Amino acid sequence: MASLVPCPHCGARPKEEFTVKGAAQVRPAPDTDKKSWVDYVYLRENPRGRYEEFWHHTSGCRRWLVVIRDTATHEIESSCDAAFAGQTDART
Amino acid sequence: MSDFRPTFRPALGAKTAITSAEVKLSALPEGAIVQVLAPPGEQDVASFLSGLGKGGVRTFSPGQWLIVGDEPMTQEDMKTLFETLEPRATGVDQSAGRARIRIDGKQAGRVLSKGTALDLSADAFPVGRSATTLIGHIAAHITRIDSDSFELIVLRGFAESLWDDLTRMSAEYR
Amino acid sequence: MTSYRLATGGLIDRQTPLSFSFDGKRMLGFEGDSLASALLANGQLLVGRSFKYHRPRGILTAGTAEPNALMTIGQGGRTEPNTRATMQELYQGLEARSQSRWPSLEFDVGALNSLFSPFLGAGFYYKTFMWPAAFWEKIYEPFIRKAAGLGKASYEADPDSYDKCWAHCDLLVIGSGPAGLAAALSAGRSGARVVLVDEHSAAGGSLLSETATIGGASASQFVAETVAELASLSNVQILTRTTAFGWYDGNVFGAVERVQKHVLDPLPAVPVERLWRVVSKRAILASGAEERPLVFGGNDIPGVMMATAMRTYLNRYGVAPGKHVAIFTTNDSGYALARDLESAGVNLVAVIDGRPDAGFRYSGRARVIKGAYVSDAHGRKALSSISVWKNGSVETLKADALAMSGGFSPIIHLACHRGAKPVWSDEQAGFLAPTGLNGFELAGAVNTNSGIAACLADGAARGAACVEALGFTASVATFATVEGDIVAPPAKPIWKIPGIKGKAFVDYQNDVHRKDLALAVREGYGHVELAKRYTTNGMATDQGKLSNVNAIGLLAEARGVSPAEIGTTTFRPFYTPVSFGALAGGHFGHHFQPVRESPLHDWAKKQSAVFIDTGLWYRSSWFPRNSETNWRESVDREVLNVRANAGLCDVSTLGKIEVCGNDAAEFLNRVYSNGFLKLPIGKARYGLMLREDGFIYDDGTTSRLEEHRFFMTTTTAYAAGVMTHLEFCAQALWPDLDVRLASVTDQWAQMSVAGPKSRRILQPIVDDDISNAAFPFLAAKEVSLFGGQLQGRLFRISFSGELAYELAVPAGYGESVADAIMEAGNPHGIQPYGVEALSVLRVEKGHVTHSEINGTVIPADLGFEKMVSQTKPDFIGKAMLNREGLTAEDRPRLVGVVPLDPKASFRTGSHILAKDAAATLENDQGYVTSIAYSPHVGSTIGLALVRHGPERHGEEVVVWNGLCGEFTAARLCNPVFVDPQNEKLHV
Ligand SMILES: [Zn+2]
Repeated sequence: MASLVPCPHCGARPKEEFTVKGAAQVRPAPDTDKKSWVDYVYLRENPRGRYEEFWHHTSGCRRWLVVIRDTATHEIESSCDAAFAGQTDART
Repeated sequence: MSDFRPTFRPALGAKTAITSAEVKLSALPEGAIVQVLAPPGEQDVASFLSGLGKGGVRTFSPGQWLIVGDEPMTQEDMKTLFETLEPRATGVDQSAGRARIRIDGKQAGRVLSKGTALDLSADAFPVGRSATTLIGHIAAHITRIDSDSFELIVLRGFAESLWDDLTRMSAEYR
Repeated sequence: MTSYRLATGGLIDRQTPLSFSFDGKRMLGFEGDSLASALLANGQLLVGRSFKYHRPRGILTAGTAEPNALMTIGQGGRTEPNTRATMQELYQGLEARSQSRWPSLEFDVGALNSLFSPFLGAGFYYKTFMWPAAFWEKIYEPFIRKAAGLGKASYEADPDSYDKCWAHCDLLVIGSGPAGLAAALSAGRSGARVVLVDEHSAAGGSLLSETATIGGASASQFVAETVAELASLSNVQILTRTTAFGWYDGNVFGAVERVQKHVLDPLPAVPVERLWRVVSKRAILASGAEERPLVFGGNDIPGVMMATAMRTYLNRYGVAPGKHVAIFTTNDSGYALARDLESAGVNLVAVIDGRPDAGFRYSGRARVIKGAYVSDAHGRKALSSISVWKNGSVETLKADALAMSGGFSPIIHLACHRGAKPVWSDEQAGFLAPTGLNGFELAGAVNTNSGIAACLADGAARGAACVEALGFTASVATFATVEGDIVAPPAKPIWKIPGIKGKAFVDYQNDVHRKDLALAVREGYGHVELAKRYTTNGMATDQGKLSNVNAIGLLAEARGVSPAEIGTTTFRPFYTPVSFGALAGGHFGHHFQPVRESPLHDWAKKQSAVFIDTGLWYRSSWFPRNSETNWRESVDREVLNVRANAGLCDVSTLGKIEVCGNDAAEFLNRVYSNGFLKLPIGKARYGLMLREDGFIYDDGTTSRLEEHRFFMTTTTAYAAGVMTHLEFCAQALWPDLDVRLASVTDQWAQMSVAGPKSRRILQPIVDDDISNAAFPFLAAKEVSLFGGQLQGRLFRISFSGELAYELAVPAGYGESVADAIMEAGNPHGIQPYGVEALSVLRVEKGHVTHSEINGTVIPADLGFEKMVSQTKPDFIGKAMLNREGLTAEDRPRLVGVVPLDPKASFRTGSHILAKDAAATLENDQGYVTSIAYSPHVGSTIGLALVRHGPERHGEEVVVWNGLCGEFTAARLCNPVFVDPQNEKLHV
């Protein structure tokens, strides 16, 4: 019915404003071996519990976020702008 | 064909304002809307833009702003503005790409709350604050321009649908 | 006729009588009545038939859990089946009809089902499904359909409007009984934003049924004063007639407000129901407790009623349940009813208290029988007597109304909506909410408090604590002394009553009786989730509000374990049924989804376009001329005219994106498979965008307008997707690049002017020189129009294969400029053409769209090998493009296909077989992706993806449509049917 996703730029917004892409994986370097690429493109962990995903605030600020949520409880641990995903202080 | 006079047709030209004591809906003039995009990390762009005096400055997205004015900008003025913006930011003309709707009145916030999950209370969303959000099924940019007044900026192609939706949403307060 | 209206008392307005009807019978009630109380006041005990056995049923409750009194209200499109009479406010002119009966409520043929009851027992559906299918179709299903009979929905459209709304608050309080009111008061006085919801027509909850006094004032007076104070606070919003039906992630609550369900003629501008989504920082559940029925024989006979409900009808509505009333209780609360009945002058036959050691000292006149049970109730359409069992001997008492109280279950549904399981408490004799709910607290009876004073105190304390946790300064509201408060400590539940002879119902609505549950256990379905489905206990529209705990108790007893071990089934939203109207809100009809109109929409209308939905867009499909009677005539004419003269097509719906920033070129170089670094200013280039798995994602042209400003076009269908993809690349993959993206799709009205005469038509309009020398194929630049009156962007690109331009002007000028082009082109024979003709033109030219780029296609499949850069270090899709399979030689590749007989045709999706090959999967050579009737070629033509296609031009094949069994002899050929040398593009 409704659940809220915290956007670091816009605050909590309903999930209808977002598009989810799936696991927030790091893109391999272009010359990385084929297996890493196959993993990146096709293989997903599908854990029960903590999961890092790319979410796009499509009907809001249009920024890509890394959202960490629990797949079992839907509880969202944190979200941050994907451009700063590597920086610890970027998390809200 | 220099004798031909191209005529301008506003997106909401056929809509007449809807006025009641509680809520008023009107199409704002299609003047100028410039989308300003700064590179990552550029500082103080907002105050720089306000200082230009080219129109109201609305935050749009991280690193992006809109300059909004009721009067159309000539091609030359637009070019000059774009040059002034560089190298701090890039301008993109959106004057025709977006339409603006104004909603005023005591019930304006309640009407919008039928569509948006934004908390529009004066504390959470004070005058001057902007946000892009879904209003029903349509994404729109909302700015509180006065205690009971909001400006909506919407993609031109959706303007008529948003107007129709707002008409429906405000019907019970008329 | 036994129940009746008392001469005085109740919170009804006796000065305002209301006329209504039940099954066509005219009746009178009063303002303030519920439909149920008005029916009882009119002596209408029998209000429905049960679902399976069609047993006569009466009103059991005074609230939301009502399983029996389901009625159809209203007429025509406003017909509302399964309305609970207990929740329906009475209004002048209300028309109610009973359900589950045929031909009439009084005489019901379906009641014969009772005779088949052994056959209809638990597991009936399970067992029936296992029997032969023919039996099911011919015998059982028709039988069940006839027997089952909830209300029927109307076929007419609902004339009313519905709405949705968001609300935000610091504290949401659910329920406005003593605990809820007190919580709202503590919190509201602190200045916190409070929303108080209650599903009934008036705030007050159980206080409205009370005879106790608070500080000397009646409970209802206390409610009025408290509500008045809350209403005076601008930070408090009170929503009555509003059911909170679900608790969702992020502390969002769903609630439905019945705005105009209590009036005959709703105001048309105001919604009849409003769906609220309440975002609350904290919430308090003050939903109270549900009284449990007792499971004895005939506990469903009209006249048997829950004790608290009877007390509500008595005190709130001034309705006596009968002339000779008995009470069967297992706890002290039954004595509150006893006291109130006696003081109202109703004859109380006896209080039968199941506890041998009951300590309550009842001071009334009525006889109290301790350690006794009602084992059976008797009567058919109304109660006549009861059997009282005590130590093995049975006494019969005459009674026309019987109240029952089997203890109380906290109403914890909402607290369990996010997955936490209820916990059984032996001490409280009920299932309690799990602890540690984030931001959600319980107060009052749901929190195991009993009595008004305890609920007020608990609510006040929790309300204050909640807002203090949010940083408000709150003090706990205090209240005057409560007089006449009856506190009922939890009593040991009695699941199994001795001496029962008749059918003892557990789930009234689904007609599940205690033997069904025992049978479920015996047959191996004793697990609570299995027993639910096996017996259907708890699966009716009331979702087992009255029955679940009793069913669990009976299962526990049958299995010899504690209810803790049985556990509950899962609580899920919705707490009570929510109408589809409320869920849809305003999004129906014209408002179902937004419509996107091109800036040339009205121009196209003037040209009598036939429109087609393309996503949310409306695009011009074709433009019929007067004499034309079918679409093909129009499309053929439009196509031929483009090839002979010129046409104007609206291409405004193509996605348009400005790509700016110092690294814009580098960025494009990474998102396209072909090179963009060296694209000169003033030039357009066709680009292929791949997915990371190597398959083509989208295509389009991108033009360099300035050193750091590019103008990209995408297909209409993928415009939003490409923008999102580019944002992902810019933000998530390469945030170090300075690239800034702006969607300008709506900024520009874009027109394709195509055909050999297009230059002659456009030159007078465009101030710049657009000769072939000055503005060659793939030129792109900003141009001045109409002697400097307007600026636009001109691109020399062609989808049709003809000399063609795309002109973009600011959207507001689109219609005017299109008019000007039509006027200028009139002497040259210009005609508008739509997307159908556009599609024919591109198939003739062998241009691909998403029919070919279908997610299984790599650039080489389409002959675009050269558009895959071998020198770029990286681009999206590069790494995966060299996989085996994607480099295989026999991949299906683009080829043209024409029927040998020009009059023959074939369809998209058909497969290609070698000439004499059998139609088998093994012989499949590929498939047709697009077809068109080509007026240029004079026959159907197609594009296909065929193994070794480019090497097989000229080969005869068979086009096989396996679905329709069609075989068409055809020939593979060059996919470019028009101007294969591309001479026309460069004239
Ligand atoms: Zn955002």
